[in-house]
Amino acid sequence: MKFINFINNLDKRWIYLVLALCIIIPFIFPVGFPMKTTPPVKSIYDFIEDSIPEGGVVLIGADYDPSTMAELHPMAKVIAAHALSNNLRVLFVTLYPQGAGMAQDAIDNVLREWNKSNPDNPKKLGKDITLLAYVPGVSAVVLKMGEDITQTFNEDGYGNKLSELEIMKGIKNYNDINLMVELAGSSVVLTWLIYANGRYGLKMGIGTTAVSAAEYYSYLQSKQAIGMLGGLKGAAEYEHLLDKKNVYGGRKDASIGMDAQSSAHIFFIILIVLGNIAYFVKKKKEGK
Amino acid sequence: MLKKILLLIFLVFSVSLFSQGNDSIIFLENQNPFLDFKLTGSDIPNDGGGGIQINWCFPDSLGNWFLTVLRRDDSNNIMVVATDLLVSSMQVRDVSSDEEPSRVKDNSNYYYTGILSKNMISEEFLNRLISNGSGYSKNGVYIFGNDTFYVTGETDPIVSKSSWFNLSRIPVLVSLIIIAFVFLYYLNLAKSGKDLYIRKINGLDAVEEAVGRSTEMGKPIMYILGIGYVTDIPTIAGLTILGRVAKKVADYETRILVPSYDPVVMTTAQEVVKEAFTEAGRPDLYNKNDIMYITQDQFGYAAGVDGMMMREKPGAVFLQGLFFAESLILAETGHSIGAIQISGTTETAQLPFFVAACDYTLIGEEMMAASVYLQKEPMMLGSIAAEDLLKVFIMFLIITGFVLSVLGYGLKIEVLKNVFDWLIKLLQV
Amino acid sequence: MAVSTNFWIWIAALLTLAIYSFLYKDNPFYKFAEYLLVGISIGYGISVYWHNTIITKVFNPLVYDKNFLVLIPLILGLLMFSRFFKNVAYLSRIPIAFVVGAGTGLSVPSSFEFLFKQIYATMPLKLDIGSLIIVVGVISTLVYFFFSLEHKGFVGEVSKAGITFIMVAFGAAFGYTIMARVSLFIGRIQFLLSDWLGIIK
Repeated sequence: MKFINFINNLDKRWIYLVLALCIIIPFIFPVGFPMKTTPPVKSIYDFIEDSIPEGGVVLIGADYDPSTMAELHPMAKVIAAHALSNNLRVLFVTLYPQGAGMAQDAIDNVLREWNKSNPDNPKKLGKDITLLAYVPGVSAVVLKMGEDITQTFNEDGYGNKLSELEIMKGIKNYNDINLMVELAGSSVVLTWLIYANGRYGLKMGIGTTAVSAAEYYSYLQSKQAIGMLGGLKGAAEYEHLLDKKNVYGGRKDASIGMDAQSSAHIFFIILIVLGNIAYFVKKKKEGK
Repeated sequence: MLKKILLLIFLVFSVSLFSQGNDSIIFLENQNPFLDFKLTGSDIPNDGGGGIQINWCFPDSLGNWFLTVLRRDDSNNIMVVATDLLVSSMQVRDVSSDEEPSRVKDNSNYYYTGILSKNMISEEFLNRLISNGSGYSKNGVYIFGNDTFYVTGETDPIVSKSSWFNLSRIPVLVSLIIIAFVFLYYLNLAKSGKDLYIRKINGLDAVEEAVGRSTEMGKPIMYILGIGYVTDIPTIAGLTILGRVAKKVADYETRILVPSYDPVVMTTAQEVVKEAFTEAGRPDLYNKNDIMYITQDQFGYAAGVDGMMMREKPGAVFLQGLFFAESLILAETGHSIGAIQISGTTETAQLPFFVAACDYTLIGEEMMAASVYLQKEPMMLGSIAAEDLLKVFIMFLIITGFVLSVLGYGLKIEVLKNVFDWLIKLLQV
Repeated sequence: MAVSTNFWIWIAALLTLAIYSFLYKDNPFYKFAEYLLVGISIGYGISVYWHNTIITKVFNPLVYDKNFLVLIPLILGLLMFSRFFKNVAYLSRIPIAFVVGAGTGLSVPSSFEFLFKQIYATMPLKLDIGSLIIVVGVISTLVYFFFSLEHKGFVGEVSKAGITFIMVAFGAAFGYTIMARVSLFIGRIQFLLSDWLGIIK
């Protein structure tokens, strides 16, 4: 009984402290919990791996900001790295001003790490990878890209004319894009699904925060998207798949965090069980 | 075919031996080994004009080749439509736009030609070809430098047209008309005084219990309208439910606190509570200062309301309206002071928090229905009835599709399979 | 790796700690960081809108391209400010009517197409346990949100199944939300331990 009272009256700050320790300790002493890849992640990986010919184009939508960066940034990096490893061209696009900074950081990071681990097959900004300039208008931008990408943006995110960039050769509109992976934690995913996929038949994958993952499962089932990366776990699974290929030496942000995530989840499960026991015991006692 | 290619390789080889500089174009007429490769064009259907789509079929061996598409008009102006498309992409659209009005115009003839190449096309070659007048239209092979380009025959004239209606969206129009009709029908029915039934909403029964218990304990009641504006439907529904709660409060002669996020919502809430108190015959109990303005900063509001909850310790807390990230902060504090909590919102992302932390939750549409149930306004009653009918229609459609697919695809009954396919096609606008 | 010498990383790390200090108790460090965030986000937003809307969409077309059609939306936009003057406040209804009308017109067909897609996605092409659960879940949830019928007898049973499905969905969403919040925290810890303190790689 004493224990039940202790749980019911526990100061929340102790929980915060234990949670912080649950997350910090696995970072310093990694455990290496086993990783299983799920079909929605694997289908995006397989599509990039097997179904896009060399020189094909992967469009990555970076529609997130620092608040959801922890989950979505690792996705941007690992998908771009995977596409580069298959000699595909990678275009980043963003419908939100904050997304441009995120995309540039991902591009810098991937290029640096790629060229460090593959000096014999160097990749170049503007030739293999770039960011399309931010243009306001959200759905109008998505619609216009279906007609002409170069005309929609005019410039890349670094101020170069798109028409002069090598990477844009042969890219006119969605017909020349083999796959689009939209990374966002907001409903902008729907904009892409409705307009780009719905109207122009662009093949799409989704990368989203765990909060929104449940919501977007219905679009996998309706085949509006070919696959989905949900939260940090989805990113970690993808890193795991790419790691097996052994071509890219960049830091595996998501995988490093997975141990911490798992230990935090175990902590939560214990809390939920204890909390429920305490609740029902208390209810029973009050009912008497 | 093989013979032709061999001949061609020989020609290319011999030509490259003789041509020392890389700057001359050599044209070989009627030597094209890809005679079967043809472009076809047509007006893009259901658009606002100024657009032509060009399609092609290709043998597998050409899958990784590049295709450049050129356009000629009646006065022999030549434009590059697109360079270095992957042949496997099978389609390109030639579309005019605001930036480039020089592109496709409606009602004039255009002729399209493709240039196939193993490598990306050289810009210099393209420029020289175009500056050569309409010469490129000849079906044949060009050799320029070390590259060979295969030019296809020209298409027949293609004309772009604009459409008044997007015919592929007819099912949408039909659905819209049906829905409008259903709504108007029920609206008329409700207006003409017919009694439209609406079921009791579970959470509403708890209102009395919550107010009663709170009074017994000698504690006030707190009503939180969330961070919506008076134009948001959930906020309006929350205000209607507030009227009901306030009436009970007046009946029990207790106190109601309404901390507000928006000044307009606050003024409206004041009116609602005042009216309810008057209706209950206790206008003397009404205190304007109990319905107060906090702040228009999301978390500032949450912090303010939290502080008030800790000080006043209400016995019942109502959370009815539009809530976002502050939902759990509020509901958790209410739970920690042991109040009975009745919540309601349409924000699906916040509902799980309310369900976990509150005693009763009005889920999404239930909240609207609750306010209709209390108000019984014909317009609202009619729309609830119409919505229900449309739900029946959707259910019917899903069940029909399910049965058809089981019988058609599962048991292989050909007729039903066709009906199912037709239904799916109708829904794929 | 060692402790970072980058000034901006220090700023970011200290602000992160200032925000997390709220978990112990509300304090001036937290308040400072919160106000700073609100102020900066508003400032950033204004500068982006100034450049991307006022300059690129109004000023440039008007001054350089002499595109006077831009005046129409500009005037409509300015009419919004009439709300501040009581005797002409009704003028603000014109742009609102335009936005509401155009917005509805744009969204109605797309919403229908979306609804249709979801309906036919619910019809399974092959019968397995998963698609059966989806069909039963969709129908019973729809029945739960049925207000013209008393939830008694058969309808009552079906709607009970519906609310069970809804609760399971809420449970899943709740679990995912916890996962997301932990991920955000992990991202910050990763930043503090690696970029700032250099304890891990």
